Amino acid sequence: MPDWQERITRETNPAVRVEHDLRYRLAEPLILGARTWADLGCGNGVAAADVVAGGFDGRAVLVDVEQSAVDAAGAELRTGDAVPIVADLTDRDALARVREAVLEGEAPRAITCFEVIEHLTTFVPLVELLSELAEAGEATVVLSVPNDEFWAIENPFHQSAWGEGSFAELRTLLPPGSVVARQLALQGSAVVPDGANGAHVDVRVEPRTEGAVATHFLAAVGPQAVELRTHVDVAQSDLDGQRQWERQREADLAHLEALHRHIDKLQGQNDGFRSELRANHKEFEDWRRYIHELEGKLGLPLSGT
Amino acid sequence: MKVCFLVNDLQLSGGVGVVVEHARRLAHDHGFDTSLVLVREWDLPSWRYEALAEVRVLSLQEARAERFDVAVATWWETTFSLFDVPAERYAYFVQSLEDRFYKHDQPERVGAALTLDLPVAFITEARWIQRTLNELRPGAPVHLVRNGIDKGVFGPPQRLEPVVDPARPLRVLVEGHPGVWFKGVPAAVVSVRAMREPHHLTIVTGWPEELGELAGAADRVMSQLTHREMAAAYAETDVVVKLSHVEGMYGPPLEGFHMGATTVTTEVTGHDEYVRHGWNGLVVDWDDVRGTARALDLLARDRRYLNFLRHNALATARGWPSWEQAAQFMALALLRVRRAPAPAADAGAAALLSDLRGGLETYREHLAERNDFARQVERIERVKRIGPVRRVRAVWRSPAVQRTVGPYVLRAAKRALGR
Repeated sequence: MPDWQERITRETNPAVRVEHDLRYRLAEPLILGARTWADLGCGNGVAAADVVAGGFDGRAVLVDVEQSAVDAAGAELRTGDAVPIVADLTDRDALARVREAVLEGEAPRAITCFEVIEHLTTFVPLVELLSELAEAGEATVVLSVPNDEFWAIENPFHQSAWGEGSFAELRTLLPPGSVVARQLALQGSAVVPDGANGAHVDVRVEPRTEGAVATHFLAAVGPQAVELRTHVDVAQSDLDGQRQWERQREADLAHLEALHRHIDKLQGQNDGFRSELRANHKEFEDWRRYIHELEGKLGLPLSGT
Repeated sequence: MKVCFLVNDLQLSGGVGVVVEHARRLAHDHGFDTSLVLVREWDLPSWRYEALAEVRVLSLQEARAERFDVAVATWWETTFSLFDVPAERYAYFVQSLEDRFYKHDQPERVGAALTLDLPVAFITEARWIQRTLNELRPGAPVHLVRNGIDKGVFGPPQRLEPVVDPARPLRVLVEGHPGVWFKGVPAAVVSVRAMREPHHLTIVTGWPEELGELAGAADRVMSQLTHREMAAAYAETDVVVKLSHVEGMYGPPLEGFHMGATTVTTEVTGHDEYVRHGWNGLVVDWDDVRGTARALDLLARDRRYLNFLRHNALATARGWPSWEQAAQFMALALLRVRRAPAPAADAGAAALLSDLRGGLETYREHLAERNDFARQVERIERVKRIGPVRRVRAVWRSPAVQRTVGPYVLRAAKRALGR
């Protein structure tokens, strides 16, 4: 079933939300330890809010290509000093504004850039800027890209294909000292006896990367890149919500497919009408020519001219 | 950003094609001032790339009069001219370990290997080359930029048409220069010929005259194809057979993947960039004609397996980067090379001298061996110049003797030598 969304929203597939939340949790020590934090491609701020809402009192530079997204992120995050910037991250002038806004804030600085690069028609200026800031020690950057290559996913919102190979390319272009990480998928289950509702449980997990397929690849560059640690997040599945989400998607998809079929049918009818019209037009032309010939022979003025 | 790529020529070849594509994309997509510098003078008409309109083509003399941000060597011989071109930084785009193109006793082998010790930044197209360069030159910057695929030409179909008709012969395609020893074209053709199951063989080569008797094994031979014609040929193909001995990051199986063909290939360097045995292709041993033929027979018989491999090959192709993406990485690599400090002049000096010493040792051994052979030949020649021997040899060479007693003498001599 297709699951293409450009933004994380409250309605996003819960499993995808857990993945996205975890990336912010990974960056949490960097964000909360920073005086300036920039979230590039902040979207609606939903995932970041789950981690840092109300807890960050520094300067938050929230960057997205849409004003509504930036406004929503500002409201979700409830930071003291929010600097909303609407910017196309492929545009060098826009990036210069972002750079300026980041550097105007006090150090230490953290920049998060999750699931953004693959959406850009060109990632050259952005990667260049992030590398430059990290290499100069101005900011610590954490970024992520998806592993579309593994699933051969052709996401209509993704402008470039990412996976093991592309990430290997990116790694060689990042400044020395970069730390890379792989995000892995986990599965689990819980048994809860009656009366033990809400009991706190510590889950022991030893995620292994050898031979494991990553869902996403992450890299941290800059002065505090080494602070990247293993993080695991387990969220209880809301099966009811999940079912509703999936059924809604299926119903929407079926509805859209029916609409497409209907449009195709109308298109077919339209083509039929056009062809009939063309045939009629040709017939009328023949009649007109014939009548004009007759009128010519009778010496009458030509009608319809 | 002003960049130049040094090339030997602009004749049609995979390696030059990659360089031209990068040059064009850097100019068109990223606004780079890009030039191709021909380090040799050529009388032959160059391959006409559509791309060259946006890229300046300079002679070495013209390039010497300019100053570039980065000058990039693209083939080992072009490094000879690299430092003649004024530039802020120097880089070397390594598309293969080119010493392997030459046999052990060819001097070019040492020369090509030595160029990897130059104090430059490296850019390469395959992870195995990246790993090797990291081992050969610890500390030297090595950037990975994989080759893209022109998705406009090799556009993967939305749906793969499964091959279900058991009576339809397996459609096999062999591509390459039959005269280049490491391309393995004769072995591929011989392997297809050794198949037991019905098959249809297409050979695509720019040098059909060098196929010789191999052409007889083909159902059709195609030559001088445009990229679009090549894509159409792959689209009619079930399996691309590629039995190379040396490759950097070969394109034909990947182009085949894009058009819905799987591959049977040797475990040549670079194959692991995208080929997985039993997943999207089959990996066979070198010089194993029978094994390769049996792998092809399996695909001819088991259409379900063939379709499984083709299906996964197509999925692999969908995840492969386009040229637009590849050029973005190249742009980033060049910007990084420009921003980073230039490697110290003595970087690689120790490796250079060590390789030079190794090369001299090899050369000395070859020379000693040759001198030994020469001495033996001289002794034989001296014997041959002795009067009676000379006369006997003259008689032996006469047609009458060759026709009559010649064969008996040869047989007796062989028996006496125990052969």
